[in-house]
Amino acid sequence: MTDGDYDYLIKLLALGDSGVGKTTFLYRYTDNKFNPKFITTVGIDFREKRVAYTATNPNGTTTGKTFKVHLQLWDTAGQERFRSLTTAFFRDAMGFLLMFDLTSQQSFLNVRNWMSQLQANAYCENPDIVLVGNKADLADQREVQEKQAKELADKYGIPYFETSAATGAEVDKAVITLLDLVMKRMEQCVDKPPAEPANGNGATKLGDAQPNEKKCAC
Amino acid sequence: MIRGCCLKMDLSLLKVLEKERVLEVLRRDKQLRTIEEDRIRRMKHELQDLRRKDVKSLGQQYGERKCACCQRPLGKLWNSGAVCRGCSHRICSMCRVGAIDWKCEVCYAYRVVKLRSGEWFLEEKAKKFPVTTDKYETIGEELLKTYNVQSYVSVVPPTPPPHLDYQNLGRSGDLKNLKPFTTSLENLVVSFTSQMKKISTSQNDVRGHLLKVDNSQRGPYFNYSTQKSLSDTDISKSSKLFKVPSLPNLFKKSKDSDQDSSPTGTEEETSFSSEYSGGVERGSNGSISTDCGLVENITVAGELELALAYNTTTSSLDITVGTCRNLTYRDSKRRKCHPYVKLCVLPDKSVKLKTTVKRNTTDPVYNELLKYDIERHLLFGKRLQASVWHSGTLKRKAFLGDVLIPLDGLMFEDKASQSFNWYPLCLKADSPDGGAV
Repeated sequence: MTDGDYDYLIKLLALGDSGVGKTTFLYRYTDNKFNPKFITTVGIDFREKRVAYTATNPNGTTTGKTFKVHLQLWDTAGQERFRSLTTAFFRDAMGFLLMFDLTSQQSFLNVRNWMSQLQANAYCENPDIVLVGNKADLADQREVQEKQAKELADKYGIPYFETSAATGAEVDKAVITLLDLVMKRMEQCVDKPPAEPANGNGATKLGDAQPNEKKCAC
Repeated sequence: MIRGCCLKMDLSLLKVLEKERVLEVLRRDKQLRTIEEDRIRRMKHELQDLRRKDVKSLGQQYGERKCACCQRPLGKLWNSGAVCRGCSHRICSMCRVGAIDWKCEVCYAYRVVKLRSGEWFLEEKAKKFPVTTDKYETIGEELLKTYNVQSYVSVVPPTPPPHLDYQNLGRSGDLKNLKPFTTSLENLVVSFTSQMKKISTSQNDVRGHLLKVDNSQRGPYFNYSTQKSLSDTDISKSSKLFKVPSLPNLFKKSKDSDQDSSPTGTEEETSFSSEYSGGVERGSNGSISTDCGLVENITVAGELELALAYNTTTSSLDITVGTCRNLTYRDSKRRKCHPYVKLCVLPDKSVKLKTTVKRNTTDPVYNELLKYDIERHLLFGKRLQASVWHSGTLKRKAFLGDVLIPLDGLMFEDKASQSFNWYPLCLKADSPDGGAV
């Protein structure tokens, strides 16, 4: 199915309590379909999607450059018994969709736990995360208010979306927002290497141009 | 007691399926990674080409008033060149990429490669999780590798160990003796059965011993091990996949022993062959499953699709053999595979049911209904053994894997078991006591 004809491979990962709709969310995103059946994910899984990403400048204007991005969307089992397996996969993901169920207060309360799991296991202390409240279509069963969730997201400084895998509302937006964050992070990481004290060889030093140096061999 | 026994086995059966599911995902991931690695290689190759053209990366002298990239002379006032932010060399306006925040061509190419190859991510990750061994690996890659190592393991101690320490002392010798067996299947089967006989006599005391050691952790599996079979090893192996408290440690260990020159004495012993390191490592991790059971020496892969139903009108067990997928080639040189499925209801081996032979396929489709005449109440305590065989020339046959399904635990009224289910093929699960409960 896949070929190497893309510019970036971006690995995102969905996590959250069992039954919040991670699998259906990703299914909606990749295939634009909805499966109301609950099939528990065994350990891990992933889906793929090729998207066109248009880079934007910090001021919001598009640079006009469009890249082909291959998304690898990891789906994890929410069940406790797979925990050691799933958390091990956190470190290989570049961005995270932290999901909870808007009709389950408990799944919302567990967001904190998932956050600390992420801090411990993700590739860095403050990875790019999007908070997703799923099942927004079930308005009559709603247990988590938007304000509550928004406050929590603000506390962590992450975007928040209320999505519905059933209707497809905001699903794309949540993923694209995360992708955007990851792409921005990527540029930052590459463009601000002097910020790291561990790396002693300041690339800005004049006349310091060894060909085998990692930074730039010009 | 019988009830409990079957329940546990069903659970462990589930775990085998789970393991297969996870491994399937990991294999898919590996495909994607192969494509990605290929893409990165191409990218780096192009970068290399660019650098070759670039004067300064070759360390050559270039004139002070020339562009560091293209060596075009720089003017004093007009096109006097500017210092690249990346490499601090003076670059003419032709060799710049980007507007305000420009870089020279090579610096820019480096940056692009770093972005697109995901190198930035690996660097970030390495800050938090320092890379100790060879290359950057993903967890999936590690898991897959670990599993592959494990499935090649072939460890059959001729006499069961009186102490657990024995594992490290005696194992290496046994393995060396076993090595020549790995070539042909027939030899293998012979070695399996002969080893099995030797073991079976003294298995009980081993088991007792093991139970004492590891009761807390894997008690349920040893309860089941009264019906010791080869697939049992597989089952407990798979459970290990999920039970290991810290995955990275395990991987680190097995990786260490992969290297041929290990510093410590015990590791030196274990490192004579990387193929077997998985088993040895498992031993030292306190797992005993390798000791009393057999671990395969040939890889068995693939799955078998079966549907089971009890037909009260004909008083028979109706087994529909659907399809197989991803079977292995026993004859790897000529890559021939003519598979058929054989059914037995253990412990009785006199009645055998066979499907037709499908030629030249590793994904045969049978859809054949086979009837095993048996009174319903007699199914109690019996196990269905479905084995897949390659039908070779001159009536030679080669074993491709089998499954064991306990029949007393099956709900024949249940629609779920009457429809097709996939069963992963295991190594020969032909236990001497044949499933008597």
